[in-house]
Amino acid sequence: MPKEFKPKLNICHMYPDLLNLYGDRGNVMAFARRCQWRDIQIEIHRISVGDEVDFSRMDFVFLGGGSDREQNLMAADLAERTGNLSDAIEDGLVVLAICGGYQLMGKYYRTLTGEIIPGLGILDLHTDGGRKRLIGNIAVEVRLGGAVRMVTGFENHSGRTYLGRLEPLGRVLAGYGNNGEDGMEGACYKNVLCSYLHGPLLPKNPFITDHLISLALRRRCRDIPLKPLDDTLEEAANEVMIKRLLG
Amino acid sequence: MWGSIALNRLRLIIALSVARVLTFLIRFLGRGKGSSLPGSIALKIFPGLIEYGASRVRLGIVMVTGTNGKTTTNNMIAHILEGGGCRVLINREGANLPAGVASAFAREMDLMGRLDSDYACLEVDEAAFPLVAAKTRPRHVVVTNFFRDQLDRYGELDKTVSLVRDALTGMEGTKLVLNADDPLVAQLGRSTGLQSVYYGLADHEGTSRSGSAAREGKFCPFCGRELVYRYYQYSQLGHYACAGCGFSRPDPDVEGMLPQAEGMCTSCRVRFRQGMVVNLKVPLYGMYNLYNALAAYAAALLLGMEHRGAAGRLREYRTATGRMEGFRYRGKPVFLNLVKNPAGFNEGLGALVDMADGRLDVMMAINDNDADGRDISWLWDVDFEVLEGCREKIGLLVCSGRRAEEMALRLKYAGIPEKKLVVAGDYRDAVNRVLEGGAPKSYILATYTALWPVERILSGYAERVQTETEHLPHVS
Repeated sequence: MPKEFKPKLNICHMYPDLLNLYGDRGNVMAFARRCQWRDIQIEIHRISVGDEVDFSRMDFVFLGGGSDREQNLMAADLAERTGNLSDAIEDGLVVLAICGGYQLMGKYYRTLTGEIIPGLGILDLHTDGGRKRLIGNIAVEVRLGGAVRMVTGFENHSGRTYLGRLEPLGRVLAGYGNNGEDGMEGACYKNVLCSYLHGPLLPKNPFITDHLISLALRRRCRDIPLKPLDDTLEEAANEVMIKRLLG
Repeated sequence: MWGSIALNRLRLIIALSVARVLTFLIRFLGRGKGSSLPGSIALKIFPGLIEYGASRVRLGIVMVTGTNGKTTTNNMIAHILEGGGCRVLINREGANLPAGVASAFAREMDLMGRLDSDYACLEVDEAAFPLVAAKTRPRHVVVTNFFRDQLDRYGELDKTVSLVRDALTGMEGTKLVLNADDPLVAQLGRSTGLQSVYYGLADHEGTSRSGSAAREGKFCPFCGRELVYRYYQYSQLGHYACAGCGFSRPDPDVEGMLPQAEGMCTSCRVRFRQGMVVNLKVPLYGMYNLYNALAAYAAALLLGMEHRGAAGRLREYRTATGRMEGFRYRGKPVFLNLVKNPAGFNEGLGALVDMADGRLDVMMAINDNDADGRDISWLWDVDFEVLEGCREKIGLLVCSGRRAEEMALRLKYAGIPEKKLVVAGDYRDAVNRVLEGGAPKSYILATYTALWPVERILSGYAERVQTETEHLPHVS
């Protein structure tokens, strides 16, 4: 093995042209920048409806949410790739799915009128439509890779998500979370991480970003300890919201 | 029955008196301009205030709605009408919710409820549009554009558009002034069946053949097929057509051609219904302000204003607070600009890049109060990455407001070196830093609720400069 080992990660940004709501592309920016700052090479693949993609070659997949029409288009397109995606996930592909993308990973979405819209069925969860939108700043206690941290963001969803045999991402300290009832937020399965948090999630919560980068490196090559970065600004931005929500 | 009329009359008089006292107190105590609270209290005392006021306007109500450009367009229309000798009532401070509209009526009425106005020019928030339109029955409605704005309040853009569409449908006799270049707006002509006048910008060297990733409304509002564009002006504005149902950009009645930026002024030639041509020049920066001017011009022509007189009035238009307002601090030019959504912020950054022909210091004040939109995720949809090209020219980037840290974080991930970033949550501290930054120019961008306090502090230090079309430095 050469002395200077330079890993490279393939980042897959799903439907950046369709799912451009709520600043979720900031998650891809955060992942990419924090790799670059550590001399980890990256290549960003922006996938549109109909584009070919081999998920087994990817290291990190980001799937966001959009307005109803865009969401339906992406659901139809993604349904044709379910096998490819599902195999890669079973093999340890690192995925971050936010809001609409989170709901889509589940079994189905039941609308207020009782109509069942099938999801990709990769994760054991389902979502029910709700009358009142759950909107506002949110703080969640998240345990990942041995660390417990306060995560903040902004949620805006009418769907109520219920987990089957899955671990949540964290415990809601302020806000609604998955459904506003059981105090849970998000879901974890293998290397897939799902959440309702916009804000976007990764920039203000860099320990999640670094956790995802570590997982991706481990799957691609080996355990590589990440060079620590100066996160003063990230922590300050997070702290503002923690103070406001939790006092 | 007479009793109830007398009671109503009494309520009106009390409401107007209370509004007057409140306005005086708010201004006297320096707590703002009293553009919202007096109306909100007056409405509690006399809920029919807006209907009452609207029914007493002599010639009619002109209403401006849409995401960006409402204040500027509305002020321009009022400015042209005043130039034509009309008495105009206007909610000038951008207070565009029912309370702001009520405040404007209360301010113009005497204590007996008499009103001496030919026109009321009202800018109205999209979400409040159905309510205010139902109360005032506007004769003319101008719709500027639809972009993503404060999504946590409205749900989603599609919903905002349908709110406005449903409110317009059935408003018989109302005439629309619509942006032909924005498919989300232009569709209102066909979907409401109302008589419509269209304005737009023709193809020019600055248009682009490919769309930006952040554009809205990619799909035909009638059949859902993806729209095909011949060119883009910016975001989803451009020349579009649907291959499915034939919906396409309507031919504008008022069309701007050969737009040009000359320093802080913008100009174009305007063709009216393929015939007559006049020169239009506004002392404002940016293509989006040209759209505002075209909207105002189209509305003014529809209201019977003379075309050359209207163009002359636009030439001497005076900018509203924070719409690229010019100041001078110890000889150094300082600009103040309102930003409230990705499209507007991107335009503001375009101005910043143009200004970076020399060195400049920048301040960005971001709040997340209700009026700003509580969700500031949209900062990550703004293309701050364009600053990488001119970062050598930027001295300081001072971040302020309730979400100063988040703003700084966004800039860090856009590749701005951290040593240039200053976090100063306090407005006065931030304004001091950006004024004393050492560069020969300063540029301040602020969200809605940060704009007023920043403007107040700034005007304490710096003198206001009127941008005049004839005396502007040419920076091209």
